[in-house]
Amino acid sequence: MKVTYMFIFLSFFSACKKFTEVPPPSTTLVQSNVFSTDATAIGALTGLLTQMSNNQSFGSGSFATGQLSVAVSAGLSADELTLWSGQSNSSLVGYYQNNLSAANTSLYSDLWPQLFSFIFQANSAIEGLTGTNSSSLTTATKQQLLGEAKFLRAFYYFYLTNVYGDVPLITTTDYTITAKLSRAPQSAVYQQIIADLKDAQTLLSPNYLDSRLLKYTGTPERVRPTSWAASSLLARVYLYTSDYSGAAIQATAVINNSAQFSLTSLNSTFLANSPEAIWQLQPVGANNVINTLDGYYFTVPSTGFDDDRSFYLNPTLISSFESGDGRFAKWVGVYGSGSSAVYYPYKYKQSAIGTGSAQTEYLMVLRLAEQYLIRAEAEANLNQTGPAISDLNTIRTRAGLLNTTATTQATLLTAIQHERQVELFSEWGHRWFDLKRTGTIDPVMSIQTPLKGGTWSSYKALFPILNDDIKADPSLVQNPGY
Amino acid sequence: MNFSTNSTAVHCCARPALKQILLVMKLTTLMLIIALVQASAKEGFSQITLHANHAPLATVLQSIKQQTGYVFVTGDIDLNQQQIDVNVKNVSIDKALDACFKNVSLDYKIEDKTVFIKTKEPSFIDKVKEAAKSVFSNIDVTGRILDEQGLAIPSATITVKGTTNATITDAKGFFILRGVDDKSMIVISVIGYEKREFSAKNNLGDIKLVISTTKLDEVHIIPYGESTQRYSVGNIASVSAKEIAEQPVSNVLQALEGRVPGLFITQTNGLNGGGITVRIQGVSSLLAGSDPLYVIDGVPFYSQLPSTGNDALLGYSGSGGYSNTSYGSPFSFLNPNDIESIEVLKDADATSIYGSRAAAGAILIATKKGKAGVTRVDFNLQNGWGTVPKLPDLLNLQQYLQMRREGLRNDNLIASGNPNATAPFKYAPDLMIWDTTRSTNWAKTFIGGTAQNRNMSGSISGGTATMQYLVGITDRHNTTVFPGDFNDQTTSIHFNISSQSANQKFKLQFSGSYLLDNNKLPATDPTSFIMLPPDAPNPYNPDGSLNWSVNSAGSSTWSNPYRNIVSNYTSKTNSLISNAVLSYEIMPGLIAKSNFGYNNVLTNDFKPVPLSYYAPEQLKSALNGASYGTSNVNSWLIEPTLNYHKRIGHGELDFLVGGTVQENNLSSQTVTGSGYPSDQLLQNLSGASTTAVRQTTISQYKYDAVYARLNYRLFDKYIVESSIRRDGSSRFGPANEFNDFWSVGAAWIFSEESIVKKVLPMLSYGKFKASYGTTGNDQIGDYQFLNQFYPISGNSIPYQGLGGLATYSPFNPHLQWEETNKQSYGIDLGFVKDRILLGVVYASNESSNQLINYSLPSTTGVTSLTANFPATIRNTSWEFTLSTFDIKGKDFSWKTNINLTIPKNTLVRFDGLASSGYAFAYKIGQPIALSQLYNFGGVNPQTGISSFIDANGNLTSTPSSTRDRNILVTTFPKWYAGLENSLSYKGFHLDVLFQFTSQIAKNNIFNTVGVPGTFYPTGGNQLTTVLDRWQKPGDITDIQRYSASGSLTNGAGISNAGISDAFFCRLKNASLSWQFPTSWSNKLGMKSFSLSAQGQNLLTLSRFKGLDPETLVIGSLPPLRMMTLGIQAQF
Repeated sequence: MKVTYMFIFLSFFSACKKFTEVPPPSTTLVQSNVFSTDATAIGALTGLLTQMSNNQSFGSGSFATGQLSVAVSAGLSADELTLWSGQSNSSLVGYYQNNLSAANTSLYSDLWPQLFSFIFQANSAIEGLTGTNSSSLTTATKQQLLGEAKFLRAFYYFYLTNVYGDVPLITTTDYTITAKLSRAPQSAVYQQIIADLKDAQTLLSPNYLDSRLLKYTGTPERVRPTSWAASSLLARVYLYTSDYSGAAIQATAVINNSAQFSLTSLNSTFLANSPEAIWQLQPVGANNVINTLDGYYFTVPSTGFDDDRSFYLNPTLISSFESGDGRFAKWVGVYGSGSSAVYYPYKYKQSAIGTGSAQTEYLMVLRLAEQYLIRAEAEANLNQTGPAISDLNTIRTRAGLLNTTATTQATLLTAIQHERQVELFSEWGHRWFDLKRTGTIDPVMSIQTPLKGGTWSSYKALFPILNDDIKADPSLVQNPGY
Repeated sequence: MNFSTNSTAVHCCARPALKQILLVMKLTTLMLIIALVQASAKEGFSQITLHANHAPLATVLQSIKQQTGYVFVTGDIDLNQQQIDVNVKNVSIDKALDACFKNVSLDYKIEDKTVFIKTKEPSFIDKVKEAAKSVFSNIDVTGRILDEQGLAIPSATITVKGTTNATITDAKGFFILRGVDDKSMIVISVIGYEKREFSAKNNLGDIKLVISTTKLDEVHIIPYGESTQRYSVGNIASVSAKEIAEQPVSNVLQALEGRVPGLFITQTNGLNGGGITVRIQGVSSLLAGSDPLYVIDGVPFYSQLPSTGNDALLGYSGSGGYSNTSYGSPFSFLNPNDIESIEVLKDADATSIYGSRAAAGAILIATKKGKAGVTRVDFNLQNGWGTVPKLPDLLNLQQYLQMRREGLRNDNLIASGNPNATAPFKYAPDLMIWDTTRSTNWAKTFIGGTAQNRNMSGSISGGTATMQYLVGITDRHNTTVFPGDFNDQTTSIHFNISSQSANQKFKLQFSGSYLLDNNKLPATDPTSFIMLPPDAPNPYNPDGSLNWSVNSAGSSTWSNPYRNIVSNYTSKTNSLISNAVLSYEIMPGLIAKSNFGYNNVLTNDFKPVPLSYYAPEQLKSALNGASYGTSNVNSWLIEPTLNYHKRIGHGELDFLVGGTVQENNLSSQTVTGSGYPSDQLLQNLSGASTTAVRQTTISQYKYDAVYARLNYRLFDKYIVESSIRRDGSSRFGPANEFNDFWSVGAAWIFSEESIVKKVLPMLSYGKFKASYGTTGNDQIGDYQFLNQFYPISGNSIPYQGLGGLATYSPFNPHLQWEETNKQSYGIDLGFVKDRILLGVVYASNESSNQLINYSLPSTTGVTSLTANFPATIRNTSWEFTLSTFDIKGKDFSWKTNINLTIPKNTLVRFDGLASSGYAFAYKIGQPIALSQLYNFGGVNPQTGISSFIDANGNLTSTPSSTRDRNILVTTFPKWYAGLENSLSYKGFHLDVLFQFTSQIAKNNIFNTVGVPGTFYPTGGNQLTTVLDRWQKPGDITDIQRYSASGSLTNGAGISNAGISDAFFCRLKNASLSWQFPTSWSNKLGMKSFSLSAQGQNLLTLSRFKGLDPETLVIGSLPPLRMMTLGIQAQF
């Protein structure tokens, strides 16, 4: 009799393990079931795009747009944006005066933690998508989403390494590994970026896809990455890593896809689904945010500057516009008049929040004009001055300017840098990165920083890493100088 | 004597059952007399004489019928088949029938004047007698052990004194001891009953045992069983139904305050349904929950309920059990009347068997059960009145106005009625707009009322030997001390049915409680407004609308507190607690049992915000709205156990093995609506123009375990006990889902040693006990180890029309429980025949593997995760108890119970504390409830501003919050105690309980509202202690100058001046009852009738300034002083 009872208890116990396995909560999802069906897997990647467009957990905006964006921090750090004197936000003042402190905890809401949060989510998607063999996840969906995740990871790493230099290379979600990583050299980071982008080129659809990952029947929304977006970013990465032929090949592929991409009038460039757009982010946000946060933060309202709207264009940039440049007329706004007039970025015209219901402008991430400038610079470096001049003139013509007068490789490279300055201002920190990669940052900033009320040192080309992270992960080493 | 109660007869209604039970009692009493006094019974009314040889039984019985008038019921038995010889003269009916049936295979039973005849089943004793006869030549001792009601006591131990020859009773109470020397003594011992000894003889008959009156032998429940203080190894304290009934409380946890050593209870406020925190032997967890495990009739109950977000006013009741802080107490939904006993389990010996759930101790609650006997009807009516015991001493109108004017003068400001005034003018509506001649005592207005309490309950109980029942209904209605129509209405029903098979082997018990509660309160505790300036305006306009006393800009000058009466909080709860226990005795000593339980607490709450809530300036943009919350928790449990009890050698073995499966389901949702066409429609969500879901929680928890416990008691002197449990919980990561918990304990009753008896004759009882073991804490909420994806909500236009998902938490497969190693040592002493009992316990609990929000570098993509951390907290406590039966006379008795606890809490280990985010909150070697305060340096006699001694020993008025907070103070109690006296004289009974707590707390001198002298629209009045302020250079005082600018800071509030001794002694409970003499109550047609007067929180002695030294905060309603009158009638 006792034996029977012992047997009953033993068999009861063997069932224990099974019993305590509860299904995941029904109000949230976990990795294993998110990536087992099309709808939830798409939701995870759409979630990443949503957070880039407006990351609620980091406050309003994200590294892509708004007050905390790379366009603002890099623009203020360079000779591009001026900070309104009434602004007291210590990290904005720090960027502007090239006087950042690693102890400033308000940097928490900035690029570094946010990009790593996005990388964690991209890694989670890559792990989830490669680790599943669910039959409810169609191959086409899996392929596109894996492409998106790799593309986004490359995109995030591009900004991380250009802002901070060497960064930990994280390709897993296992915190026991990632919490102890040291910084990888920038070359290794670029290798990873290139590998991810090459994968993305083959995985991503060449067509814009809707929220069910089906091809649009009407006008496509250009808000999900395509293989062309991967090529465009790859062209930029090759340019940054001095692989000029590679850059020219990738840019050419995009430029030649005239069925999808074409330069449009200056006033139409930043509209939703502009033909120039290779990839845009659809604005999202609480409190009736309908159009871009860039439009809100960069446009100085008639009531003047305030804590939100506290940026205008650096006089150096304004004076570098050639007379008759349509971009000064169309993409620059004026506040005040006469000698007190200041000029602000006006690429996005929709600045109001809380009114209106139509989304007319999307945040431009990758656009065709940059590909022309990439190819021009690559060709100039390869000493193919003819094609380089032609590409440069394509951009100048659209801006209503005469052809360039530069003819030699050296003058042409200078002309292209100038063209990038006036074409890409207030977008994605291009100017700050260009100064760094062309080695012109020290001569430029040693003049500019004192004008902004700071002092320049070469080490300031890299932003500091948060002190708290260095404490939490002793293998991390601070950028020299901080 | 072969009488056996024929229990197979089913009684469809109470009356025959009662008759039968009465008869049984009469007969057993009779037999007891026969057995013990050995006097022959004489039935006065019938003397029977029979002479028959080989006569048919039918004929003989016919003769008895003629002689006595007794009727015989035979059924289908043919009495003519039986031929008997009988020869008796002038004997009773029993003797006559015994003689008739001696050699026949028939049995009989007398009921009234009817004799039922049935076929005889050979009894257990007959069978063993037969078997025994052939083996032994010594005598066999047989008998049956019964309780006071005549019900069988199974598993009673019968020993031949000084030998190992012993046995236990079977399910029907019968025993047989074979081969007993007829000169030896037979000892009968049962837990909870007085020990009996008899000289050996063949048949001891029915032996009735009397329940032991010494506290040592009171039976109390332990996990999966019963024990007594005499033989227990664990550190367990009990509170009985009687002690609960003496206290007019609506939450049973309130009734435990001051009664149990090692148990510290704090009421967060005095609201109906308010929060209560319960800590057993200290706080064991840094950030996870530290609630005890509550078990009602073997089924775990909730220590917290999920918050709807509307319920914050009910007050804190702990955190950690769910992802958010929870409010109110789940025990508001358990009727105190339904509780039979409460056991508080503290050490490893008592709690390890609950595995990963009982690191913070356990509280076992048993509900009332029906008892066999005459149908008993109880009726209880109580009416009570509750008031706030003490209102604070606040500035009167003149003092307030003087404070304000002096504050303005000190800051060189001029009062102005202009809301946009700039220096040197200062907007001061209380001086310039309000009527400064009008004075209101706001404390009296808001909390000076009297709460009415009405409590009616009735119950019926009774039953037979095979079936017992109890049904009770309680209706409670409590109002509040606040202005407005607020009340808490509770109706509950409790029932219990127990049934046993005729052979007592199969038992079923089914219990349930169902409670409906409807609690209506203001949306904010009105106590938070008692600090309004005395000249604050009349709350109502003549037309009955709220008066906002607008200024020149048309804006309100105050936050009219009566807005919280139009916006109120209603909570409706249905609570079901039920369980069923089935048990079967497979063989003597071996019982299989299974408990099935189901609990459900469902709450719907509602909080409207009508337009009248808003001040005129808010009204432009305000919308009316309402918030609707629901929370639903249910759990079920199946718990089979197998218990084996056997006499082995000189000792008794008790072995338990069992398993548990349990599942909890939790869901809660809060929905808000706004923009209703009318305030009348706020209850109707469909009337809202916009709706939003504020929160949705759905979670599931599953738990299973197997466990075993072994207890061996040798010579009733040496006891060893050990338990082991392996359990698994869905809250933990797959790598650590299962773990083993264990304990060992031992006790030595040294007073049983003959040497001790000789040397210390005064010592009637003495026991050493010690235990060591492990328990776990799983109060971290569900799903914490999973990497969860959350829906992104709140965006006006979602990305591509799709909400999207986000994830912030990594998968943590290693997440596991906090582990507490408990050691406990105790000594129990009894003097003067156990009339004085002294107990001392030292316990030391080390809680390690702390669950905290572990900080990760942001490179991981997440900033923190819930993880186990190598931090250790040690809680030690000294617990003393002294109970005395001081005087016990014929009419008078006096009992005293004293308990004292000296706790100590220490953070022993925390790796990398200095560089962690907790550096400021904790210090190694200090308690975990730590305040780091400035060192107050007095008020600067020149400037009138508070100064502080900084880290370098210099005085400063602007101390650094990081460097200069060097005074470390803990708010944990230093010691706490209870003193209870019970006096009885004839029908009068008086019970008085004092509660003592020695603690340090934030005082209300420096921690009331803002800076004295500044205007606050929600209340800027001050305690009269501010009158000692600095007024002119040279003044020496601790109170800095009045200031109206708001530029002065209140640094003294976070200095050592802001804390003070908050020791209090409280007359927690006094209960006086008078039971009518039986002759009086019988005349009224009652079995008993009594009147009672009870009081709770009657008197508080404390030097603490403010409302109450328990709730401490001045904005929170203190526990009420409650006085009730009641009548109790029993039919």
